[in-house]
Amino acid sequence: MISRRLIALAMILAAAIVAGSAHVLLSSEVRIRIATTTSLYATGLLDELKRKFEEKYPGVRIEFIAAGTGAALKYAERGDACAVLAHAPSLEKQYVERGVLEAGVIFAYNYFIIVGPEGDPAEVRGSRSVIEAFRRIYSAGESGKIIFISRGDLSGTHLRELGIWGRAGLNPAGGGWYREAAAGMEQTLIIANELSAYSLADIGSYLRLKSEGKLPSLVILYASPDDPDMINIYSAYVAKACSGDEKRYALLFLKFLQENQDQIRVFGEREYGQPLFRPADENIEKLGDLWSEFASGMEVGFP
Amino acid sequence: MVIELRGIWHKYPGMAAWALENISAELTSGRVILVSGHNGSGKTTLLKIAALLYRPLRGDVIVDGQSFWEMSEAEKIAARRKITYVHEKPILIRGSVLENIAYPLRIRGLDSRNVAERAEIIMKELELMELADKNAKELSTGQSQLVAIARALAVEPELILLDEPFAHLDSERSRLVAAALQERRRNGAGIVIASHGGGELPDELEPDEVIVLEEGRIRR
Amino acid sequence: MSQVFSEILDVSLRSIYVSGFATLLSASWSIPAAYLLSLRRRVVVLEALIESLVGMPTVLLGLLLFLLLSSSGPLGFLKLLYTPQAIIIGQAILITPLIISTCYRALRGIATSYLELALSLGAGRSQAMMLVLRESAPGVAASTIMGFSRAVGELGIAMMVGGNIRGFTRVMTTAIALDVARGEFESAIILGIILLVLMIMTAISVKILMGVRAQ
Repeated sequence: MISRRLIALAMILAAAIVAGSAHVLLSSEVRIRIATTTSLYATGLLDELKRKFEEKYPGVRIEFIAAGTGAALKYAERGDACAVLAHAPSLEKQYVERGVLEAGVIFAYNYFIIVGPEGDPAEVRGSRSVIEAFRRIYSAGESGKIIFISRGDLSGTHLRELGIWGRAGLNPAGGGWYREAAAGMEQTLIIANELSAYSLADIGSYLRLKSEGKLPSLVILYASPDDPDMINIYSAYVAKACSGDEKRYALLFLKFLQENQDQIRVFGEREYGQPLFRPADENIEKLGDLWSEFASGMEVGFP
Repeated sequence: MVIELRGIWHKYPGMAAWALENISAELTSGRVILVSGHNGSGKTTLLKIAALLYRPLRGDVIVDGQSFWEMSEAEKIAARRKITYVHEKPILIRGSVLENIAYPLRIRGLDSRNVAERAEIIMKELELMELADKNAKELSTGQSQLVAIARALAVEPELILLDEPFAHLDSERSRLVAAALQERRRNGAGIVIASHGGGELPDELEPDEVIVLEEGRIRR
Repeated sequence: MSQVFSEILDVSLRSIYVSGFATLLSASWSIPAAYLLSLRRRVVVLEALIESLVGMPTVLLGLLLFLLLSSSGPLGFLKLLYTPQAIIIGQAILITPLIISTCYRALRGIATSYLELALSLGAGRSQAMMLVLRESAPGVAASTIMGFSRAVGELGIAMMVGGNIRGFTRVMTTAIALDVARGEFESAIILGIILLVLMIMTAISVKILMGVRAQ
């Protein structure tokens, strides 16, 4: 009698596992796994696009796996994600050339900005280019006046920052004022806020946190939509390893991104006072050129 | 039923001396056998081997002509279900006295009405009815021993082995148990009792045979 | 606000479901294993080995499982990566050494004598095991609760093989990690409090349950 209860328990367990797995394995629902950079995911734009897409294609479920751009690309290579959203052209190019990714489209862009304390001890305000701004940060750092927080996680933003240092001919590593957070954009900004430090950020992440009152001691010190070094390009790819229905819908999602540029144009306007992203269709040719420029080695890291 | 011990040798791990040396004996239904000897002479070891609980290092335990330790699992259970054993220090399970007595009946798959009936019969016989709902962990040593004996008798085994069953019982309870055992013997069951004195068995229980153990050997 | 709240509720329920399931699954093999271990005499080496695995870093196990379950890994054909089932399996493995070693400690003292008692009264092997487990129920339950607490509070496995997918594999710890990364400390704190309360309440309710049964 007692062992009968044991058998019953085992059977319930087995049934629940089978039921649980069946729901994943046998359901007619198509799962599309999309690896995305964390900064893009954190804004909430993707959840909004996902909802619209799933309304249009019932029976399809998009699943976002948020990771650093580097990791997101790796997932696609291993076949664990069918599509990737990334913003590190130099890395993306490597994967495209290795035949891991295909069907790339640029779907949005925004700007990088330099943030720092209101007092601006490094006098970044008034710099004519980001290179000049970085030089000022460097000399203020070397003389012990400021701290700079780097993402330090090989994300798209981090790679861009390294590229700018490289082009400025500077190597900040090793200076006590240059600190690597090894964290996502928001966390890096919060650390910079705590330390009243400088940092390079994408404008979307900054605006979101700022509007929520989480960055009281950080202000924008350098923002120049005309400075090509500061343009942050978001691209989408489909993994070659992906196949079947998942791939078909992943391609449809990429098309959907291009067709719903208006939604990207207005996203965040109401909540944060200004949109977090610019749609790519406005400037698609210029963006393409810039992407190639970035991809072909502008983001090279320290000399 | 017959349990035959053939040339049993047994030793505990880490001990140099043999606990039992070359023991041969036959335990049969319908008889009362007293195993006597000093503390440490091997009585408990002998009983547990005969009760099919310990596997001896050497020698055979034959149950109704078949070597027990070579039986299949199902055959072992069937053989063990004809025998019960009562520990010197009574071990009771969580729950009431009634639940303790019902346990061996329940694991034999009896339905609950049957279990209740048979438990009641044995509790009446050993005057345990008043304690039926008492938590087993709150009993005195004497009460615990009585419950353990009742539990072993509840399934009406063909052979019952008891290790110092009277050690903690007062004379009245001893007589009750002795009468119950005598009754079982008349009905054909075998009784094996280990006792270090030997002289203090209640009058109601007359052994048919006495096995005297001395340092693990049978004294002839 | 209500959307935030319903999301927190969703994530909390999923955590309970996933980790509860993982605990049951793990208990179904860990408790019998602890029982078998408690009947053996020479277990020092085995015991040390199991105890050394109790503190296994979750990210390490997560990484291993990720490599196994990944589409290009040996078990990729199961298509389990980024599903709740993958988290369940991972957490069940994670807490196995913990349940075995704590359960073993609860059983060690009493297993042999109650096994003997059960056999002397005519029990079969599994009936004997059930009796021993029943007798050590408070200790066995406590070890299972410890397993649940560890499972529900771990991050590495849920993140690496679950993928923190909203509405599907997002559990409390991965939600907290994401909230912290996004700077949403308020909802991270709410989730953290729920997590703590959940762990404490499970422990208390089982204690009460055991107390009632022991009477």
